Parts: sequence; structure tokens; C-alpha cells
Amino acid sequence: MENDIILKIEGLKARVEDKEILKGVDLTVRKGETHVVMGPNGAGKSTLSSVLAGKPQYTVTAGKVTFMGKDLLKMSPEERSWAGIFLSFQYPVEIPGVSITNFMKTAVNSRRKALGEDPLTAAAFLKLMKEKMALVRMKPEFSKREVNVGFSGGEKKRNEIFQMAMLDPVLSILDETDSGLDVDALRIVAEGVNTLKTPEKATIVITHYQRLLDYIVPDIVHVLKDGRIVKTAGKELVALIEEHGYDSIN
Amino acid sequence: MTIKSGEQSKTLLVVTSNDISGLEGGLSGFYVTAGENFSRHLVLQTGASADILVLILPGKDSSLDFRIEMTGQDAQCRLFGLFLCPSDEKVKINVEMLHNAGRCSSHQLFRGIVSGTSRADFYGRIVVAPDAQVTEAYQENHNLLLSDTARIDTQPQLEIYADDVKCSHGAAVGKLNEDEQFYMRSRGIPEDEAKILQMLSFAAPVLDMLPEGDAKDRFASYVEQSVRSAF
Repeated sequence: MENDIILKIEGLKARVEDKEILKGVDLTVRKGETHVVMGPNGAGKSTLSSVLAGKPQYTVTAGKVTFMGKDLLKMSPEERSWAGIFLSFQYPVEIPGVSITNFMKTAVNSRRKALGEDPLTAAAFLKLMKEKMALVRMKPEFSKREVNVGFSGGEKKRNEIFQMAMLDPVLSILDETDSGLDVDALRIVAEGVNTLKTPEKATIVITHYQRLLDYIVPDIVHVLKDGRIVKTAGKELVALIEEHGYDSIN
Repeated sequence: MTIKSGEQSKTLLVVTSNDISGLEGGLSGFYVTAGENFSRHLVLQTGASADILVLILPGKDSSLDFRIEMTGQDAQCRLFGLFLCPSDEKVKINVEMLHNAGRCSSHQLFRGIVSGTSRADFYGRIVVAPDAQVTEAYQENHNLLLSDTARIDTQPQLEIYADDVKCSHGAAVGKLNEDEQFYMRSRGIPEDEAKILQMLSFAAPVLDMLPEGDAKDRFASYVEQSVRSAF
């Protein structure tokens, strides 16, 4: 059904500097769905997530992206966030001198302002922080630390999922969220993602490996190779790739 | 001005601004000096210590000159400064830190944010005399250059004539980090607000010379207002 569609990507081409990386991507995500985009290194997986989040270094050269009925490509990164897109970064950025509390308070209240809502009271904000931090088992003292500065790989990814919980997005894009995680951190992150899932929302998991998919079960699996989606199937495709590699899929 | 043996000076606050009314009243533990042309020769005797905080706020040209002389052992000096030059300000800072006695320490940190057609010149010289053994002397000047038409000239210099010393100096000129900006924007923080946060976090280490408390909070909010309204 058309009104179930959260994200529709049609013929998307994008380049960074002079290099064309996405060469015509089509992808439709509906409410309640979890999609996985898999593919070998250099296929364009991270470019796809960066383009959807609006990273300025990427130039879209052709195609159309519609998010909740609106032209996504016309929106600034912050407008995309306000509209309900969240990107969990493969390499979360360190922001020295800015505490997690200050960062999240600014993020949450900027969005409320953009949507015409009053800022959260200090008490309401702290309650929300506490609740969402518990979801990914972040200790309360984390809120005072500078964003991602000196964090371990696992702490950075838990911080991403914490931010996702705070911002309550319609579409979450998890870019290589499993990279650099040990099994315990992987489980905590996956539990967080699964807890946040609702029939009204959707998730795109971008990954190289099957690992994360033992915990987050996809509905639809896409293989991205050389800037194009070359195969789309159900979750059984994951096992096939794990056994035969990406070379077997054309 | 001489800080006598064993004395600890109040923090000397040097402010260049069009309006310091919000800063002056009710400060204890500070000497407040305002003015766009400021020159001070400070002598630190044995065991004396002095903290100096320099705030150069938007809207005025200024020229500041510090000559700090450590004439007795175990003297300590911290000289921290922030200059905000958003439009067409001309700022000149000249520091001479003279270690003439042993076992003294000096720590300098100057940070500047320069935009528009402003121009900032920083000359910093540390001289460690032959007898001034066991000296510690550090000097850093970090700058954000936010426009193609603004200019920063930074010249840190080190002259060491003693052999048992720990000294370093450094200067850096950079721009606001775009990866940080994109990360913040992807969380819904508008671009302008992201830049303000970056500038405030850049300025924060200068104010960190002050102990936690009312005075620090007041200066921090004063700096925040200046950054928000001028950049």
C-alpha cells in the first residue's frame, strides 16, 4: 500500500569528488520493516547512508528520494533529523568540550523548537536521559563526559543507540553498527534496537557481516555491489552469502 | 607591579570590551582592568604567584603588552587569554615571559576566534636565563580562522640558556571541523547552533583556569553571549 511507504529511493546516483559511487539505487521501505543492505567493501553502502542523512561532501547527480511523502534531497541534515531520520554512524565523531547532556539537550530542544513545541523542562529532560541510558546500559556518569571522547568502540556504538532512543526516529539507519563490537556490546546494542522497534517505524541495517543479523532479524535483504542493488530477497539470502560469498551473487 | 615574596596575587582580569558593566560588579579576588591599550610589567619575587586572565571581546581594537619577570625562585605564573574578533577588529598581544630565577613555572594559553576582516597578532617570547635551572615554561596559541579575509600572525619564541628545563611552545590555526558539524546536524542541531557549540568548546579551556564557582559561571555566560551575538 502506498501510504505504508516510509522511504522510496528511485534511480539514485551519487558521487564524492569526481568518483561516482552510487550508480542507480532503487529501494522502498515500508512501515514495520527491517531491511538489510549487505555488500562487499567499496560497494557504496556507507555512501548510501551518508546521502540519506545529507552529508555535504556527497553530490547527488540523479534520482529521487521521498521520505514520508516529502522530497528528502531538498532537506538539510537537521531538517531530515526533525522529520524522523536517524543515522547511527560507522565512526561516531568525537566532539571535545561538549558534554553528552549539553549535546542531547540542544538536539532534543532544537527539534522541539522546529516542530513548534516548548523546550523540555530540566526535570523532564533528565528523566528521559536516565530512561534511555538504561536501555543501552550506560552508567549515569556518562552524561557528563564529552561526546565520544576517549570512548571505547562499544561505548561509542551504545552512545549512538542511546541518541537514537532519545530522538525517537521513524527511520533508523544503522551503518556498520556491529563493527568494533565484542559479543556483549553487540547484544546490548541489538537489544536496544529491537526494543525501539514498532509497527510504525522502520530500520535499515547496513553491514558487511552476518554477525549482527543473529540478533536483529531482517525482513528483506538487499545486496549492493558496485553502486547498484543486484539482488533482493528474504532473510534466507544472508545464509547464502555467508556460505558462498558475494562473488556468487550477480 | 611587584608581587612580593610568598605572596599570591588576586587574579588579574584584563578585559577589552565596549561594555564591561556585566563583569565588574561584585567580583572578589580579582583586579579588573579594562582598556584597549594595556601594558603591564609584573615582577614575581621568591615564591610569589600570579594568575592573569585576558578577555578580548568583540568590537574594539586593542594592543596588550605583558612583561613578566620572575626574579625569585619558586615563582609561578599563569597567563590565559581569549580573543574574539568577529568583524574588523585589530588585536595585538605581546608577551615576554622572563625566567630569571630557578624552579619557576609559567603556563600560557591564548585562544582566538577570528573572522570577517579582523587581524590578530600574537608575539610570545619565553626567555630562560642561564641560572634558571629546573624551569617549567609552556606557551600555546590556538586559533580558529573563520573567513578567508581574516588574518592571524602568531610567533611563539623560545630562548633557553639553562639546561635543566621543561619548555614547550606551539601555535595552531584551524577551521571549524566539518565532521563534527555534520554529526551535530544529523542529530537535529541547526548548523548555526553547531558552530556556536564548537566555538564555545574551543574557548572553554581558557576559562578553565578559574576554579568552579560564580565568577567562572559569569565569565562563561558573558563569553557565550558575545559569541552568540557576534559570530
